[in-house]
Amino acid sequence: MPNILDILLSPFMIRALIAVVLIAFVASTAGSFTVYRGLTFLVAGVAHAALAGAALAILLDMYGIIPGFPEILGAAVFAIITALIAGYVGRKGESERMEVAIGVSFALTMSIAILLISMIKEYAVRAWGLIMGDILLLTEKDLLLLAITTLIVVFTTLLFYKEFVFVSFDMEGATAYGVRAELYHYIMLLLIALSVVVVLKGVGAILVYAMIVVPAAAANQFSKNTTSVMIWSFFIALFGGLVGLIVAALYVNVAPSAIAGLIVTVFYFIALIFSRR
Amino acid sequence: MSNTYAIVVENLTVKYGEEVALEDISFKLEHPSFLTIIGPNGSGKTTLLKSVLGLIKPEKGSIKVFNMDVLKDATKARHMVGYVPQRERISTNVPIRVADIVLMGRLARYGPLTVPSKYDVEKVREALELVGMVDFWDKRFSSLSGGQQQRVLIARALAVEPKMLLLDEPFSAVDIPTQREILNLLYNLRLQKNITVVLVTHDVNPVVECSDKIMILNKKLIAYGKPDDVIKDDILLKAYGVAVKIIAHEGICYVLSGDTHA
Repeated sequence: MPNILDILLSPFMIRALIAVVLIAFVASTAGSFTVYRGLTFLVAGVAHAALAGAALAILLDMYGIIPGFPEILGAAVFAIITALIAGYVGRKGESERMEVAIGVSFALTMSIAILLISMIKEYAVRAWGLIMGDILLLTEKDLLLLAITTLIVVFTTLLFYKEFVFVSFDMEGATAYGVRAELYHYIMLLLIALSVVVVLKGVGAILVYAMIVVPAAAANQFSKNTTSVMIWSFFIALFGGLVGLIVAALYVNVAPSAIAGLIVTVFYFIALIFSRR
Repeated sequence: MSNTYAIVVENLTVKYGEEVALEDISFKLEHPSFLTIIGPNGSGKTTLLKSVLGLIKPEKGSIKVFNMDVLKDATKARHMVGYVPQRERISTNVPIRVADIVLMGRLARYGPLTVPSKYDVEKVREALELVGMVDFWDKRFSSLSGGQQQRVLIARALAVEPKMLLLDEPFSAVDIPTQREILNLLYNLRLQKNITVVLVTHDVNPVVECSDKIMILNKKLIAYGKPDDVIKDDILLKAYGVAVKIIAHEGICYVLSGDTHA
């Protein structure tokens, strides 16, 4: 069907395809450490904080307080602050305490987001764009930002891979064996926060969880080692994203990220059923 | 017979905010020896271990490990020590092989981006053989039983070729036979490999006979010395606040040559 091929080769679709590949890299690196650390809730918390940050940026721009204030910067600042607060609470490795802190900042930033969105009525659609996301509407600038961030996340993860694994496994032991565990703990959280912010525009605040956390969670059900989790989560995320795009190319009114979200969650449930752990 | 000390603690006071965790602790531990630290919950046992590792800055006092200050010479001092944390604090979310866990401790010392050498792998194998877990090389840690996990963690500590092992509650949540196996293993390490073993436990019964020294802690140093001098009703009453019955199990710490299976 040449029709579909035309759509798949159109510039917006090619940008979307590149984005899907980049998101798969983020899912396999930042995503797997999110799962290891038991911090999947952080992804949801940070996504909603980013939303509040973006809404604030829109407000500052709209009222001419800081004209042209970029949404992504507002989003990144809020996301990083949330990650650092959660990180501070859990700096000794207590994930349970972090969950509570994330929950509280979730409530705070969500309240701020809703308050701000209600104040920017006519521009609220811009904020809604971030809640829903649209991978087909990514600009070249968005894509460049996603590419740079992916590069940073992948490079840092590979560089400190061994340390990240050790800290995720046993923070106290890592410190005792001479690893600067607290430093790596914060680096990991920053990478997760940055990943969420850049993926947000493509898949939306709600489904960012599906794309970052779920592929790694599925892979972790059946993988014997961390390398295998990385490889499998990459392909699960990639497969979900590609199917999403193809379905969107076939049926114009379907949101690709929603299809991708459905696909990866199906992977998770299949992995859950068949894993013998 | 020797005047090398594994640990020398002088006037150690540790506070968490306003709360005193340890008060004016002083003691010397000869090398090699087997020290058991007991005391009720919240008595500062873990705090003392962490202080010896240099993980906690004391309010007052000094700690030396093999004559090196644990804060000033932190890196060197830590290289003497293999640490076995409480198993409950370890995440089972990470899919990681037994061999990689044991390798972890060694590699941590080299810094980022290092690959293990043949020698590293050899040390890992030796350590796993020592704890009787070499057949589990490729197994995922989370698939092991509590006692097996504990032995892997001991292997990780041994792989760094320590002169001293510090263990935090190594017998928690393992059954009695496994407890004995682990205890035998530790006892043999002290006897045959000349490794000083320091362990923290809330259950003194199984360890009395193996220990060269017993320390009873309740924020202050209640007693420290040979088991016979320390395990007395009045001392235990002082530490725990209630009468604690100690039953001496005979023949728990028999020495085994080669194989560690009882």
